[in-house]
Amino acid sequence: MVRRTSQIFSPWVIQDIHAKSDLGRYRIRGFSSFQDVTHFDDLTFLSTGLTRFPLEGYKEQCNTQTVIGSLNAKNPLILDTPIYITGMSYGALSVNAKTALGKAASLVGTASCTGDGGMLPSERKASNKLIYQVLPSRYGFNPHHLKKAQAIEIVVGQGAKPGTGGMLMGIKVLDNISEMRDLPKGIDQRSPARHPDWLGPDDLAMKIEQLREATNWTVPIHVKLGACRVSDDVKLAAKAGADAIVVDSMLAGTGASSEILLDHSGIPTVPAIVLAREALREIGLNGKVHLIASGGIRSGADAAKALALGADAVAIGLSALIALNCNREIPGSNFMKEMGVPAGECSHCHTGKCPVGIATQDENLTKRLDPDEGAERVANFLNAMTMEMSLLTRSLGKGDVHSLEPEDLAALTIEASAMAQVPLVGTNKIFGQS
Amino acid sequence: MVSIDAAQLSTRELNIKLNALVEDNQDVKIINPRARHNVVVGILKKCQITVEGSLGYYCASLLDGPTVCIEGNSGWALGENLMNGVIRLSKDAGASVGASMRGGEIFVGRNAGARAGISMKGGTLIIKGNAGFLTGFMMQKGTIIVCGDVGDAVGDSMYEGVIYVGGKITSLGNDAKIANPTQTELSVIDKKLKKNNIAGSYKFKKIISEKKLYHFDKLERLEKSAI
Repeated sequence: MVRRTSQIFSPWVIQDIHAKSDLGRYRIRGFSSFQDVTHFDDLTFLSTGLTRFPLEGYKEQCNTQTVIGSLNAKNPLILDTPIYITGMSYGALSVNAKTALGKAASLVGTASCTGDGGMLPSERKASNKLIYQVLPSRYGFNPHHLKKAQAIEIVVGQGAKPGTGGMLMGIKVLDNISEMRDLPKGIDQRSPARHPDWLGPDDLAMKIEQLREATNWTVPIHVKLGACRVSDDVKLAAKAGADAIVVDSMLAGTGASSEILLDHSGIPTVPAIVLAREALREIGLNGKVHLIASGGIRSGADAAKALALGADAVAIGLSALIALNCNREIPGSNFMKEMGVPAGECSHCHTGKCPVGIATQDENLTKRLDPDEGAERVANFLNAMTMEMSLLTRSLGKGDVHSLEPEDLAALTIEASAMAQVPLVGTNKIFGQS
Repeated sequence: MVSIDAAQLSTRELNIKLNALVEDNQDVKIINPRARHNVVVGILKKCQITVEGSLGYYCASLLDGPTVCIEGNSGWALGENLMNGVIRLSKDAGASVGASMRGGEIFVGRNAGARAGISMKGGTLIIKGNAGFLTGFMMQKGTIIVCGDVGDAVGDSMYEGVIYVGGKITSLGNDAKIANPTQTELSVIDKKLKKNNIAGSYKFKKIISEKKLYHFDKLERLEKSAI
């Protein structure tokens, strides 16, 4: 078939080349990858019929309690739902957004996570279960805060930009942010990609022991990986002593990244979970070292499918921000006027001009987000996701979301069958298996 | 001063004993540390700890307040993320000494490995001998004084802070430049050296950031309209 326009040089590609020829540098944006890849929508649950009995939604309980990090920690994380809020920095997000996320997590009995740039006092106060990230930058890192955390997460990489550090444009590096991060005010911050005090997996084992000693072996230690060479990375992290491994896929969100990394690095969430599960199984640590999946999880269905594939919990970022009103017109906002795009198409978190007060450090814009109202919205969303998971689980005749398994799934496409290692619908064939 | 013989203790047992004594406001001496990793970690109060022997990775790290004197060598990341307090090492330090330190003072009696003072965010790191490559890499604040020579790429991508080098500079890192130290700065260095019993006349060169990496120099249309 002959097209009327070039398949290779599409209008978007032409515009992209023009933009880069004007700029002389790579392009930067926020949000998430625009790549069209296999995702949870390409999988479907095989609910009960005559082979199994469903559970009654009104009468029968479905357990969603989730324990993370029981391998070594005296006090593992015990969550009321297998969904928690991932690390997003104070800096990328406003103080009101971080506080709202912490409050929302507490309202539903789950955890939130600090992100790059240190522990924000209002988030610490709001979040009953706060995960403290140890990032390559160590911005604002403080052993006093470390000892107050309910879990620790060593960040090796993040899915939106694996192999690089964080990025925060100068418009967001204002007084409080520059002070917390010990950076000059107004610089375009490009965080380190490597940790300052360790390089390889042998060092990581010693780093993990250091953090355990500093916290008296009380809290779990997670290792977060950008999903790329998942199988080897997961084995190395597990052998280094991680209690839990977070696999963050190419579909994960960000407040700022070079566009080229967002769209052209990492692997999707579905194969990342399967590869991680098999890696842990190969070394005999499946079910002992917990697996947390993140990247593009938007609903209880996505979360349930992640658990069925082998995750013990999921972490959400962008979905929680959308619940906070990201990309939605609210009183006072005007996306076209303020961002040059309609609500629903904004990916300009890096500009610091977020019209809904989430991804900004501007005092006036921040006021557009009420932290209590925002917390309620995110808590509602987390509750809705958890209910959706329970509904699907009961429909499969199971009373515990952690009983979901690959056998409960079928793939709607050949690619999904190969990546998820479940049969293609209408066949018994799992593609990619010899 | 109370002594702990670490010879027969696991790291966990050693740190539990040490923390209990520190909580009891005792000064502590550790003997036979056997170059183990992660000793004297996460102590957040003023106290006096002496270590007779060499230590491994991450020793005297994540501290706020203690004075730690080590008679020996250390592995990687001695004094990592020091908030406040003093660490004195009599011999050589491995790589990444003072990584991400935010305050206090670390003194190395002989040489330091690569990446000394990497990501440093405050405080003072003094190295009596030579320091390896990438000294002060991505340094944000604070002061590094190297009395001897430094390896390649000193001060690479540093934001702020100052590195003084008394010996030879193999090469400057990206965005680092040499400046002239003022008399006031030289007298401050002199005082710090005397305090650490370092005699000798050094001709210190000062290395600071050229600040050319602070900003992306161009914005695209949407960024211009939004910013």
